[in-house]
Amino acid sequence: MTNESRKHICPYCGEIFDTTDGLKVHVFKVHRGRGLPMAEGWIRLTINKSEYNLKVEPDWTLYYLIHDVLGLTGSKQFCDRGTCGSCTMIVDGKPVLSCMMLAIECDGKTVETVEGIAAEAHPLIESYVNHHAMQCGYCTPGFVVTSKALLDRVVDPTDDEIIEALAGNICRCGTYPQHIIAVKEAAAKLRAKGSAGKEGK
Amino acid sequence: MKNFKHFNAYSMDEAVSLLRHYGDRACIIAGGTDVLGKMKDAILPTYPEAVINIKTIPDLNYITESGGMLNIGALTTLSEIGDSEIVMSRYPALAQAARRVASPQIRNMGSIAGNICQDVRCWYYRNRNNRFSCLRKGGGRCYAINGDNRYHSIFGGSVSGGCFAVHPSDTAPALIALAAKVKTSSRVIGAQDFFEVKPIKTTVLGTDEIVTEIQVPEPLPGSSSTFLKFALRQSIDFPIVNCAAMITMKNGKVEDARICLNAVHVVPYRATESEKVIVGNSLSEAVAEEAGRAAVAQARPLEHNKYMVAVARTLVKRAILACGGV
Repeated sequence: MTNESRKHICPYCGEIFDTTDGLKVHVFKVHRGRGLPMAEGWIRLTINKSEYNLKVEPDWTLYYLIHDVLGLTGSKQFCDRGTCGSCTMIVDGKPVLSCMMLAIECDGKTVETVEGIAAEAHPLIESYVNHHAMQCGYCTPGFVVTSKALLDRVVDPTDDEIIEALAGNICRCGTYPQHIIAVKEAAAKLRAKGSAGKEGK
Repeated sequence: MKNFKHFNAYSMDEAVSLLRHYGDRACIIAGGTDVLGKMKDAILPTYPEAVINIKTIPDLNYITESGGMLNIGALTTLSEIGDSEIVMSRYPALAQAARRVASPQIRNMGSIAGNICQDVRCWYYRNRNNRFSCLRKGGGRCYAINGDNRYHSIFGGSVSGGCFAVHPSDTAPALIALAAKVKTSSRVIGAQDFFEVKPIKTTVLGTDEIVTEIQVPEPLPGSSSTFLKFALRQSIDFPIVNCAAMITMKNGKVEDARICLNAVHVVPYRATESEKVIVGNSLSEAVAEEAGRAAVAQARPLEHNKYMVAVARTLVKRAILACGGV
């Protein structure tokens, strides 16, 4: 690639343009209002509604960054191979395994951890406590995060939907039946809150 | 994990040129659920020097149907395929297969291309720190032949060498049954010819080749497809045996059949013998039973995996019956 053609590569998406004006129009149209891309090794991350600019190493997983570097120790590491679900975080609205994600690839993403769910006083936390959906409690943050993602998507989940959604979380204490009760109660509370909010308006 | 260089590729050309530069010393990462596990356990004698992220390439995540063909972008996640209206209604085997892969979280991360390109799960091959330098890694012998081979091939080892590790993909048999094609950065390969056994390789992809698209031809009128999986657990588990079938009926008789088993051989195993049994017949319990027996007639199980023959036979029978709606 010659230096001349390098001039017209969009720094955001890599699209190539013949002229500077073409690039200008494209940037204004498509990437308006966005900051310039970060320097190598830096990522921009929104964690629980706060924005971070972080310097990360290529071999850091998202879990390592959030748990070990930033000190949000709610999510837990158990298998570190993507088979247990206790490190689950919500990334861009979907529950994913933070131990199997490279932090350097999460630039621009929005992450929600169990701390964020607790901070917004989500009814799941209370119903998990009320129904004691835990024994040793190590897997519980993963379950709570996965359930939160389900409740964001489904207002009134059935038993089967809850079982399907929580299929990726393992609890060696065997508290599975309690999770269904707890999630259903939290869903009912959320619905009550939602309809009360509408009437208030 | 050891440190490595990390590249975000912004176009397919960029990814290919990085692969050309690094050759075998680089690996592609999309969902990462397979490749990061391999790197964390350091199962291979060599460690990748560079990791090339292709998630940053735009427009590789789509499901469209046009011109008698379903096109699925390489980066489309398994949950997007499993939840897609088009795939569920017209290509049920693929949707069912995508929904049975691992766990919901992994389906949110893993891509369809990664699922067919994943590495084998043989526990000798996957043992930490390259403890067993087996045939598949260019070593001297297959440890599964005399070792614990309860999850290994029942149709013999690979021709070149004798590796008995089975191919673990769920979507691969579905794609083969649906007569899909795999489009790469340089060619189009039939799904059935896509798999190959070589040291540290499960596909025919060259070192500078990347899967870009999956193409599934439109189902013929009167055809139906299904996918069945037998695993020890309902979720987060690899198949003991899985089976996908597409059967086209005409005037009450089977006109065409494609049946593919996986996790029973070193590559997905097309059950051509059972296809021969059912083509031209009307579907009944007896015919399906016969087809199931034909599928495993050539089976040569090892010491600990004889049970897989019965599982494979039953899955073929059930898949045929499910397709025929009997």
